Amino acid sequence: MAAVTSKSGRIPPFVTLLLLAITTLYPLGFVASTSFRHKADYLRAPYRWPESWSLDNYVRLIENYDVGRAFINSALVIGVALAVTLVLATLASYAIVKLDLPFRRVFAGSFLSVMLVPSQVLIIPVYLLLSYFRLVDTLPGVTLVYIATNLPFAVFFMMTVMRSVPDVLIEAAKMDGAGPLRTLIDIVVPILRTSILTLAILVFLAMWNELIFGLILLPSEANNLLTPKMASIGGRFVSNQPILMSGLMLTSLPPIIVLTFLSKYLVSGIAAGLGK
Amino acid sequence: MAATATGSEAAAAAGSSHPATGQSGERGFALLAVAPAALIVFLLLLVPILGALVISFFKTDGVTARFVGLDNYASILTDRLVHAVFLVNLQFLIAVPLVLAVATLCGVLLYEKVLGWRFFRIVFFIPSVLSTAVIGLMFKSTFAYDGPVNSLIVAAGGAPVSFFSTATLGVAVIILALVWSGFGYATLIILAGLSSIDREVFEAAELDGASWWQRLWTITLPQIRRVLMFVSVINVIYTFTSLFGFVFVMTAGGPGYSTTTLDYLIYTKAFSSADMGSGSALAILVFGLIGLLTLLQARVARSKAD
Repeated sequence: MAAVTSKSGRIPPFVTLLLLAITTLYPLGFVASTSFRHKADYLRAPYRWPESWSLDNYVRLIENYDVGRAFINSALVIGVALAVTLVLATLASYAIVKLDLPFRRVFAGSFLSVMLVPSQVLIIPVYLLLSYFRLVDTLPGVTLVYIATNLPFAVFFMMTVMRSVPDVLIEAAKMDGAGPLRTLIDIVVPILRTSILTLAILVFLAMWNELIFGLILLPSEANNLLTPKMASIGGRFVSNQPILMSGLMLTSLPPIIVLTFLSKYLVSGIAAGLGK
Repeated sequence: MAATATGSEAAAAAGSSHPATGQSGERGFALLAVAPAALIVFLLLLVPILGALVISFFKTDGVTARFVGLDNYASILTDRLVHAVFLVNLQFLIAVPLVLAVATLCGVLLYEKVLGWRFFRIVFFIPSVLSTAVIGLMFKSTFAYDGPVNSLIVAAGGAPVSFFSTATLGVAVIILALVWSGFGYATLIILAGLSSIDREVFEAAELDGASWWQRLWTITLPQIRRVLMFVSVINVIYTFTSLFGFVFVMTAGGPGYSTTTLDYLIYTKAFSSADMGSGSALAILVFGLIGLLTLLQARVARSKAD
């Protein structure tokens, strides 16, 4: 709306947005500042600025609740699952969109048809399947599940952006004698690198925040991932706000860092996703 | 889907029209390239979905199994608990118009490009990148008996409220969490929709002397009705698929079953009552419901666009 023309007319929208931004930022600021103060200091005046800052809550959380281990587990599982998902989705979408793939429509249709299946439908049979292969309570098991549950969307996303790669470029590479893999690595991937980064962010967020499979497939303490772990132990700390807040900080930090530095790619991806 | 089909047909036609030397090599590579992804999706998604369907016809605890036909479905559809939980789930639909209203407000205001709009856009999106478990725990501690909200109530001279031991207040807090976590994403989608409107439409209306509100109701909102429909659809679907994290950390479904949602019920049924058959049947029914909603709403959106 090139609507609000006068300078003074711009103030009410600004104030409204500012108020809404405060409802988002204040709770997060509260979590952050509380996580660095002692319980006694917090109880004396919860809303006052902390008198002293310390990392004690984080140290206690890591020493007593094995949260560091959970963080490393999450990093390992998601690192591998994310990399594999991106590589496999790129290969599959390239074959479906750009190569002479037999049964192309069967493949494309299969990926798309399972894209919207909610995880509740899958938990019971996936649990039984993994227990048959003795993969319950192992990190490779949950890594496989994370790859599988994120692949359909990843393939769909890559198919969409793959269509924007001009066929002329691929034909030209072929004329120069480049094989399909060489063409993919030298021509297609460089063109799509920002799209691949957008996809990487979306898949990372989905994996980092996943809850149900993490809870069910990794029951023993040593194998816990961070988000499911915080979900299950968080309730115990309601009487000790500062330590709970340090747990919430650790769990939210990776997504917030990603949003801070890569928001450009995330926002453009969401805007583009609507064009379908 | 239609676009995929036509696109691939065209590509297939192009592929067969020039029998280049490396053609069979390319086909082989293409199959190899799609195989790993296809195999993983087949084994870990398609087989389990079919598995869920099969399990739903059995009475099983994972060790022994007995075929019971449609008994699991019959008992779920007549189960008073499932009815009650379904009604609980419907209460969360209140979040949909709230998300829509807040997000439309934010979208329209951001579209005016007021000072700092890029900053606001990112700030509103922060809750969307956080885990529902994190948000749930934030709201749980904020509304705890000795939490910040109650200390404000006490400071104002009131008596502290036990938010999570009454059904209505528990649901209300979860709805608040749902709106807080979801409006930023909806705002981005609405903003993208607004940006695709031809600016001349607004300029013409402005020349006609239409006021800001008139333009909002008669031009802006009708122009983005498909986007608003899309936002409603995904938020309706969220209330059936994405409440698990909130319920898990905030109320564990209580008091009683008053905040138990369908997705939380599937979880408790499958792993607490050792009855995977009826858990699967419930999951299949919820999946069917979500599929139906998606199709129905997509149809509504399309007919409105015509």
